[in-house]
Amino acid sequence: MALEKELALFAKMKPDLLKNHEGKFALIHGEEFLGTYDSAENAYAEGVKRFGREAFLVKKVSQQEEVYRNQALSLGLMHARL
Amino acid sequence: MPVFNFFHWSEKLGRTLNETGPLVSVEIAIPTALKQHLSEKGIAIPPAVSGFALVDTGAFATAVDESVFVSLGVSHIDEITTDTAHGPATSKVFPANVTFPGMNVTDMPMERVVGSKLKWKTRDEKEIIMLMGRDLLQYFLLVYNGPSSDVTLCY
Repeated sequence: MALEKELALFAKMKPDLLKNHEGKFALIHGEEFLGTYDSAENAYAEGVKRFGREAFLVKKVSQQEEVYRNQALSLGLMHARL
Repeated sequence: MPVFNFFHWSEKLGRTLNETGPLVSVEIAIPTALKQHLSEKGIAIPPAVSGFALVDTGAFATAVDESVFVSLGVSHIDEITTDTAHGPATSKVFPANVTFPGMNVTDMPMERVVGSKLKWKTRDEKEIIMLMGRDLLQYFLLVYNGPSSDVTLCY
């Protein structure tokens, strides 16, 4: 998967980011940290402005990691017919 | 608050709400920032992908079939853990603009949509490309009328 470098850098920086930037969105490209932004929309706009269609990371600085749960999808029941 | 009714019926199958679940037509487009970037560079803007969204009160976040983002040429911006029947997995997160033509909702920005393998066709040939989760439903009033096979959404 792409974003490996970016995710590794984010994990390394997370303890420091949590001190002063909790709730904001970090923008990372390769091994470069570009800053934090008030919204994911602003971080994404800055990423596109600098890197166009290249891969970059926009991640929320948060104690708790986001987990996606959708029971019906994960159990294969979205279009089951009994 | 405008009210929109969606009667679920087909000539071949009759009432379809019970079988298909609540569906609304949807168009997924590239995010505004990318659209502006491509325009400035003189690059053609990929057309929006059309299909249907299944209203899914069981999903906390909206998910879109990953093939849609491949068509649009939109890269993912994050990865998150997904709970599946086989244990935790990783899913990509994408930005998108969402339009619901039947409800006059145009180019709604969504910065964090979960990419998933969810595309399928109903027996009345409606291709589902999105699961409309509670991150979107928090802005809607929803009435599911099973006996009359219709769904009402107010935005």
